[in-house]
Amino acid sequence: MSDKKHNEVTRRQFLNYTLMGVGGFMGAAVLAPMVGFAIDPLLKGEKESDFVYIMDVDEITNEPQRKTFVIDQVDGWYESQVERTAWIYKNNNGDILALSPVCTHLGCTVDWNSNADFPNEFFCPCHFGRFDSNGVNIAGTPPTEPLHQYEYQITDGKLYLSGKSNPREEA
Amino acid sequence: MKWRTNDIKQYVQAKEYIDTALIPLIPFSLSNDQQIKELVFQKELMDVYVNHIEQQLKGRIFLLPEYYYLKDDKINEELTKLNRFTKHVHNQPFKYTFLITFDREWRKVIKELDDVELLWIPSMKEGDLSQKETQKMIQSQVKEIEQLIMDSWN
Ligand code: FES
Repeated sequence: MSDKKHNEVTRRQFLNYTLMGVGGFMGAAVLAPMVGFAIDPLLKGEKESDFVYIMDVDEITNEPQRKTFVIDQVDGWYESQVERTAWIYKNNNGDILALSPVCTHLGCTVDWNSNADFPNEFFCPCHFGRFDSNGVNIAGTPPTEPLHQYEYQITDGKLYLSGKSNPREEA
Repeated sequence: MKWRTNDIKQYVQAKEYIDTALIPLIPFSLSNDQQIKELVFQKELMDVYVNHIEQQLKGRIFLLPEYYYLKDDKINEELTKLNRFTKHVHNQPFKYTFLITFDREWRKVIKELDDVELLWIPSMKEGDLSQKETQKMIQSQVKEIEQLIMDSWN
């Protein structure tokens, strides 16, 4: 009899503990992602500023060369690896250009010297947007600004790019 | 353009430039374990293809939501519905509509598809998408498909 009673109490206690345990656990589980959700993007921000080695500076020619590189992209709390492409060359002033191939009209990918009618230009196949050899948009075609320039660094004769490209001033 | 908030804003403002719709046709079925693996693999492969194409030709192509259907059903039974779907797209208007698929069945009904072009790609049954050779092969196939689409623009 007393044995049974003892048993029952234990069972109820057990149940209580378990429920509380689970409750507490569930609370923690719900809270943790929410904190992560709120804080992660703030902590990490845009992580695209990591610089990646591309090529040696003395390999850079006057003819644009197409280079691809991989960066870690943090999109909010989601991190992924994405491939970027850059057209790299020196212009007539000796400035290094590392241009994004993303057309400034609606975002198709431009190609260098790909259209026989428009030699030595960047050409966009979507609405025939054109950019001159400095990457500047040619009037009368849909793009409204020059191709964007990647952020770059040069250390010890080596060229590094970040995944971030910025608008340029009109030339 | 993709079916997502950021792109839609742009699409609504620049509709006259985005005149080409791309719709993946995706079969699914759960009835056979070996087949499930193939179908899942092919769906993942299709994602790689269309994402590449969309990225290259973003300003003119709208990658629409996939059209799903039961693999075990007769393809004829899908025709009415798919044609209604593509007619809706066509009326927006989209000047060009491309259906893209690995499923050979669609080739048999190609004549009954209205106002669309079918891009049928022979598929691998399985493979490792992280392997260099596989990626190379995919890249060259993607290039060819892009060329096909661009040819229709000219
Ligand atoms: S997206 Fe390049 S010209 Fe329109």
